[in-house]
Amino acid sequence: MKIFIAADKDGFSLKNQIVSFVNKAFVSDEMIDLNPKPAIDFIEGTLNLTEHLQTNPDALGIMIDGYGVGSFMVACKVKGMVVAEVSDERSAYMTREHNNARMITLGSQIVGSKLAENIVKEFLSAKYAAGRHQIRVDMLNKMA
Amino acid sequence: MKIAIGCDHIVTDTKIALSDYLKSKGYEVLDVGTYDFTRTHYPIFGKKVGEAVASKQADLGVCICGTGVGINNAVNKVKGIRGALVRDMTSAIYAKEFLNANVIGFGGKIIGDFLLCDIVEAFIQTKYKPTNENKKLIQKIDDLIVEDMNQKSSDFFDEFILRWKQGYYHD
Repeated sequence: MKIFIAADKDGFSLKNQIVSFVNKAFVSDEMIDLNPKPAIDFIEGTLNLTEHLQTNPDALGIMIDGYGVGSFMVACKVKGMVVAEVSDERSAYMTREHNNARMITLGSQIVGSKLAENIVKEFLSAKYAAGRHQIRVDMLNKMA
Repeated sequence: MKIAIGCDHIVTDTKIALSDYLKSKGYEVLDVGTYDFTRTHYPIFGKKVGEAVASKQADLGVCICGTGVGINNAVNKVKGIRGALVRDMTSAIYAKEFLNANVIGFGGKIIGDFLLCDIVEAFIQTKYKPTNENKKLIQKIDDLIVEDMNQKSSDFFDEFILRWKQGYYHD
């Protein structure tokens, strides 16, 4: 699986730590760092990430800024994108299972590096359950 | 000040606790549902909160589902909504101060009622602090959605409800 990661200047340092973590913990997956240099702002960084997710339907994404808030708003507004703003491990895996979320947003000011690693681990390890959950995802995808 | 609140069937009790809290503080509450624990679908209620806030029928909105992810994606897919999904007050205050967020969201099964109510109160009380930088960001966020007038229709989700009743969606 391809895993795309992006960050603005506020998320840049935590992003680099997560890249190292994923490269060690998910050796059979391909980590692609979209921001060897920080994105201009969280909007540019998030939209670049969502474009890569749209052209790679099996990939997952991680966007890191200062609070996770702005990137969440932006990604929600991309047609067909389901995104989770998370700061706990439970939400990280449950949103894959129930919402088929394609990406998470993290705030470097909100989560410490160990929590961020464990959130990423849970998100990348979980699988979408489909079934009854699919009606809600179909509804979201019909929206703007 | 009128606050629109919405939830799915997993966290109706949490939303009622918030409703009582808001009323005790003197706010008007517009509860768009759901009103019981019968299985339903979070996009219906996220869309309703978003439309109430975007149309100025309510000043601010609160969206709650199990993790908060589903309903807060739905509300953000309404043009004019800037909604944050939070588990802490710091993120909520940033969302209002810097991005003039008009909806705050929670995972009702992730956060406790005490912290949820405190965060909602802080979110209501926090004032947006406009700067040249954040005005440009807010404009860019708002411009991301091209408004689809069909989305406002009350039968927008009916095709899915029909397939649900026909047993198309099963575990």
